[in-house]
Amino acid sequence: MRNVAERDLAKTPSPGSLFGVFFWISAVTVGGGYAMVPVFESALEKRGWIDEKEFYELFATAQSFPGPLAFTTAIVVGKRLCGRLGAWAAAVGVVVPPFLAIILVGALIGRFGELPAVQAFLDGAGATVPGLVAAMIWKMAKGRAWGLRKVLSTLALAACLILAPKASLPVFLAGIAILYATERRWAS
Amino acid sequence: MGLLSLVWAFFKIGIVSFGGGWTIVGLIKAETVPRWIGEADFSSLVAIAQATPGPVALNAATMVGWRSFGLLGAAAATVSVLAFPALAIALAGAIGKRVKLDEAALKESLRTGTLAMMLMTLWFLMPKGGIDPLLAILGGLSFALVAFTKVNPLWAIFGAAAINALRSLLGL
Repeated sequence: MRNVAERDLAKTPSPGSLFGVFFWISAVTVGGGYAMVPVFESALEKRGWIDEKEFYELFATAQSFPGPLAFTTAIVVGKRLCGRLGAWAAAVGVVVPPFLAIILVGALIGRFGELPAVQAFLDGAGATVPGLVAAMIWKMAKGRAWGLRKVLSTLALAACLILAPKASLPVFLAGIAILYATERRWAS
Repeated sequence: MGLLSLVWAFFKIGIVSFGGGWTIVGLIKAETVPRWIGEADFSSLVAIAQATPGPVALNAATMVGWRSFGLLGAAAATVSVLAFPALAIALAGAIGKRVKLDEAALKESLRTGTLAMMLMTLWFLMPKGGIDPLLAILGGLSFALVAFTKVNPLWAIFGAAAINALRSLLGL
């Protein structure tokens, strides 16, 4: 992997232009990280700042961190393209538009949320949420190579998280540590 | 004090937000309902968070903060949920050189962990007690649409919202 210094300087974006690209994409792309990431890629590639292969290498790195995908990808890509300032510019660019959109929508709901039709509209939207989550679980589960060990460990960890939601942070981290240890033992 | 515990709650949520936003929606619900937001409100807000530009978990955090403490709460919740991920990336370079991790094993463990978190999210989002039959049907249809077709989930969200609003307008 190359670093900033080795890149073609003519094709290095300024923090301002980086901010602009991420801000604009974040403002118009609905559907979260998986929808946004390919749009980032084509926009940056079109400007000649990065090629597809390098972008998706960085995306793979971003995925191994916690946090919204659009946010972590923006930081990692911004840092590669123009250093620490670039990371800040891209991250702030991604975060500000949805923040403003939520404030706007929140204010509208505060104002009109009492109307029965608006309330029904919101209830209808809310009713789809468990369905959407179940569909995502279905898609994630379908793509995995399942064995008895994986089925049991997934269900066991899920049960612990459901039984102790307030302790989900230690439970999750302990779960990952145990899985990691058994995964390594299994592999060797 | 209330604002501080909101910040702490979202900081903790940020630490386990592997695998994209939806994994932690259940956790956000467990941490914030009914303390800062009502049970019924939460699901609608999540649907709106998904239908608004931006990552769903980030939007949900902003929305809960906005609902409970106004503009200051919205900013505080947003920054807290992002604080750990940003720190982790900043520090990874320094730590990564010292600790040698088996990447394949870590990825596989995180995949299991992410799926478990999704199951937790589903559990906490499932309506408890009686549910309106039309809403139950709309929920089931949205599952089928997103799981078995390539239709954009936004159509399911807005379609269900419009159908239910229409029902209310017609007084059915």
